[in-house]
Amino acid sequence: MSESEALESMVGGEYKYGFTTDVEYEDFPTGINEEIIREISRRKDEPEWVTEFRLEAFEKWKEMEEPDWPNVEYDRPDFDNIQYYSSTKKKDGKKKPESLDDVDPEILETYEKLGIPLEEQKQLQGIAVDAVFDSESIFTTFKEKLAEAGVIFCSISEAIQDHPELVKQYMGSVVPKGDNFYAALNSAVFSDGSFVYVPEDTVCPMELSTYFRINNMQSGQFERTLIICEDNSQVSYLEGCTAPMYQENQLHAAVVELVALEDAEIKYSTIQNWYSGDEEGNGGIFNFVTKRGHCRGDNSKISWTQVETGSAITWKYPSVILQGDNSTGEFYSVAVTNQRQQADTGTKMIHVGKNTKSTIISKGISAGESNNSYRGLVKISPRADGAQNYSVCDSMLIGQTCGAHTFPYIESANPTAKVEHEASTSRVGEEQIFYLQQRGMDEDDAISMIVNGFAKEVLQKLPMEFAVEADKLLGIKLEGSVG
Amino acid sequence: MAKVKQQTEQTFLQDLLDFQGSLNGKSEFLDEVRLKGAEEVRNTPFPTKKLEDWKFISLRDLYRDSYELASNLEVDFPDFSEHFLPESKESRLVFINGSFSAEHSSTKALPEEVVIGNIANLAAEGNEQLKEHLHKHADFEDDVFTSFNSAFLEDGAFIYVPKDVTVEAPVHLLFIQTDADKNYFTTSRTVVVADEDSEITLVEDHIGLGDNKYFNLPVVELNLEDRSFVKHTKIQRDSFEAIHIARTAASVAQHANYESYTITRGAKLSRNEPRIFQMDEEVEFTVDGLVLIDGDQVSDTHSVMDHRFSHAESHQLHKCVINGKAHSVFNGKIYVQKDAQKIDSFQENRNLLLSRKGLVNTKPQLEIFADDVVCTHGATVGQLEEDELFYLKSRGLDEQQARELLIYAFALETIENITVDSVQELLVDEVHRYTERQLDSELTV
Repeated sequence: MSESEALESMVGGEYKYGFTTDVEYEDFPTGINEEIIREISRRKDEPEWVTEFRLEAFEKWKEMEEPDWPNVEYDRPDFDNIQYYSSTKKKDGKKKPESLDDVDPEILETYEKLGIPLEEQKQLQGIAVDAVFDSESIFTTFKEKLAEAGVIFCSISEAIQDHPELVKQYMGSVVPKGDNFYAALNSAVFSDGSFVYVPEDTVCPMELSTYFRINNMQSGQFERTLIICEDNSQVSYLEGCTAPMYQENQLHAAVVELVALEDAEIKYSTIQNWYSGDEEGNGGIFNFVTKRGHCRGDNSKISWTQVETGSAITWKYPSVILQGDNSTGEFYSVAVTNQRQQADTGTKMIHVGKNTKSTIISKGISAGESNNSYRGLVKISPRADGAQNYSVCDSMLIGQTCGAHTFPYIESANPTAKVEHEASTSRVGEEQIFYLQQRGMDEDDAISMIVNGFAKEVLQKLPMEFAVEADKLLGIKLEGSVG
Repeated sequence: MAKVKQQTEQTFLQDLLDFQGSLNGKSEFLDEVRLKGAEEVRNTPFPTKKLEDWKFISLRDLYRDSYELASNLEVDFPDFSEHFLPESKESRLVFINGSFSAEHSSTKALPEEVVIGNIANLAAEGNEQLKEHLHKHADFEDDVFTSFNSAFLEDGAFIYVPKDVTVEAPVHLLFIQTDADKNYFTTSRTVVVADEDSEITLVEDHIGLGDNKYFNLPVVELNLEDRSFVKHTKIQRDSFEAIHIARTAASVAQHANYESYTITRGAKLSRNEPRIFQMDEEVEFTVDGLVLIDGDQVSDTHSVMDHRFSHAESHQLHKCVINGKAHSVFNGKIYVQKDAQKIDSFQENRNLLLSRKGLVNTKPQLEIFADDVVCTHGATVGQLEEDELFYLKSRGLDEQQARELLIYAFALETIENITVDSVQELLVDEVHRYTERQLDSELTV
C-alpha cells in the first residue's frame, strides 16, 4: 500500500455513534415565530423574564443576516422547517425525572452505548455527568455530592427555576442576546444545557461533564451553558457530543458563557464528534457555536481545549475577554476534517487588562476533500500594558484534494504589548516515516505516531479522565481500518 | 446656513472622469484603453470598510476633497537633481506629475535592442511591443483603482528587454510630484517586459517635492518570461499629505526570478498591492517590504502570492516601524493552488510599535490546496527590548543612540539585499532621518 493510501485509510474510520434511539416525542410544531417561542417557554414553565429574554432576542434575530464571511459553503438551513423544541414523552406526565426509574430505558441504553452509563453502580467515578438528549436534560449524576461542596451543577432549565437570581445576573452578560446571528437564534429558542456555579474558595471536587445527543431527525439542538466561578474557585468541565446519521443536515447552534471572577480558573474541554455526513457530503450537523469566556476578575484564567472531529460544517471561535489584570486565556485545539467536512474554527483573545497573557495552539489536520481553516483574532487594547500573546497554528495536509487555510488577525494598539504568531503548513514528511520504519515500525504505525505527535501538545491539555475518551475518538478518525 | 456639497465616495471617481475627454485623440490605442477603463469605473463600486480587503482603513481622506487632472496644471518646480542616482546617469526616465520629461531623462547606457521610452510617445509612434504588452498583465479584477488608472492612461514608462540581453545599469524610474496650489491626481503606468534569459534592475522612485495634497495612483505591470531575472526596488517618498494607492502585478514564467523590495516612507495614506502570479513551474520570487511611518500616516499593504504550479520558492519579509498616531495594516495572502506541489513559501510580518497611539493590524494568510508543500508564516508586534537597550547602554551608548541603533538594525534587514549601492545608502539615510525624527519629536511616549 502506498503511503498516501495508508494515510487515507487511517482517517477514514467509520462513525460508530450513528444509531438512532426509538423514543416517543411530544408533539411540537416546526418553524419559528413569537407563538412558538412562547410555547417553548410555557412547556418549560419559565418565569416571565426568561420569556422576555427570548422574545427580545427573537426581535433582534429577525433583523440580522446569516454571516457569509466564514470560509465554508453550505445550503442555508430552512429556519421554518426546524423543530425548535423536542422533548420525549414522560411517564406519569412528570416534567423532570426525579430518579433514573423515571427515565425511558431506551435513553439509558443509548447513553450506555455511548459509553456514558448513568445507572448508579456503573457511573463513571470522579465525573459528574449531565446528559442532554435533544432539547432536554435527562439526568444529572452526583448532584448531591457536589451540593455538599456548595457546587451547583444542573441543567439550565432547573437553574432558571431554582437559582433565578444567578441566571438572571449572568445569562447574556458574556454573549449578549444579539451578539451574532446564531447566538441570537439560540437566545430565542435555547432548550437545555448545563449550569455550573462554583462558590468562593472552592475547588470543584470532581470533573463535570455534559453529554449532548441529538436524536430527533427534525429538531435542531440549541443548548445554552453557563459556568460561573466565584473568587478563588476552580472547575474543570467537559462536553461531548454525538448524533445519529441522517441524510438531512441538522442545526446545532449553542451558546456557552463562562465567567471567571478574581483568582478563579475555568478549564473547558470539548470533544466534538457530531455526525459529519457521508462521503458525498450528505447529511451531518451544522455546528454553529458561540463560546466565550470572560476573565472578569484579576488573576483569573480561562482555558479552552477542543478536539473537533465531527460535524459537516463547523463555525466556532471559543474566545476569552481578558478584562481582569494579570488574567490568562488559553486555547488548545485539534481540528480534524475528512471527506467533505468543512471547519472554520479558531479563537479570539481580547486583551483589555494589564499584563494579560494568552496562548493559542491550534493544530489542523485535513484529509479527503475537506477544508480546514484557522481563523483567530488577537486584539490588544490601548490599556493592556504588558500584554502578551503567543500563537502557533500548524496545519497538516493528507492527500491532494484537501485544503488548509490560516486567517490570523492581529490588532495591537499598545507599545508595551508583545504579540507573536507563527504558522506552518506541511504534510507528513517522508523522512519522518522512513526514520520510524527503519526503527522497525510498519508504515501505518509510523504515520499514526507522527499524527499523534503532531496533535499531542493539545491532547495532553485534556483532563486525565477524558484523555482516554479523546484518544478513542481521535483513534476512530485517525486509525480506522487499515486494509 | 448654506449646505456644503459633500463629496460622496460612491461618485467620487466617476465625477473625476469628466476630465477624461481632454486626453483623447493622440493615440487610438490609448483612447480605447481609457474608454474601457472609464466604463469599468462606472460599473465598479468604490470600496468601503465593509469589504474584507478594505476593512481597516478609511478612504475619507481621499474622497472628501476634489482633484484636478495633473496634466492640466501648470508646473513649477525647483531643481531636483539631488534625487538622481549616480549608477543611473544614462538610464533614467523622469516623469513630472505623471508626464514625461525628456530634458531630465537619458537612456544612452542601455543596449540598443532594448525598447525603452515613455508610453505617450511610443503609443503615438505605434510601437508594436507596447501594444502587445500594455494593459495585459495588470490583472486586478473588479478593482476600481486599476480601472481608474486605465481610464487616465496618458503616460508612463515602457521597457522591453529582448532575449539574452542583460541590462547592466539600474534603470531609474523617477516620478516627481510638484508642489501646487490645487489638489491634483496623477496615474502613471509602468510596463516592464523581460524576455527569455534577460536581466534588468529597476528602481521605481516616487518623490513629493512639497507638502501638498495629491492623489498618486501608479500601476506597474511586469512580465517575466522564461529564465529572466528582474530586481525591482520601489521607494515611496510622496508628500506627507499625499494619497498613494499603488498596484504592482508580476507574472513570472518558468525558471524566472522576481525580486522586489518596497519601501514606504511618505504619504498620509498609502496602499500597496503587490500581486505575484506564478505562470509556470520552477520559479522564485521575493516580495519584501519596509514601512517607516509616524504622525498620522496610514500604510496598508495587501499582497498576494499566487502559487499555481509546482516547484516555487517564495519569500516575503515585511517590516513596519510605527510611531505617533500612525497605523499600519498588513494582509499577505499566500495561495497554493491544487496540484501546485513542492512549494516552499515563507512569509513574515514584524512590527515595531513605538508609541501609545500607534495601531497595528496584521493578517498573514495561508490558503493551501496541495499537500506536498512547506508554507510558514509569522507575525509579531513588539517594541524595543529593554535588555537590548540596557546592553547597549552598558557599552557606553546613551538612551537615544541605543534606541536609534536598534530601530536601524530592525529596518536594515529588509534593505541590505538591495543591490544598487546608492539606493541602499539613501535608504540607510532615510532610516536615520526617520529614527532621529522619532527621538527629537514628542512622538515617543
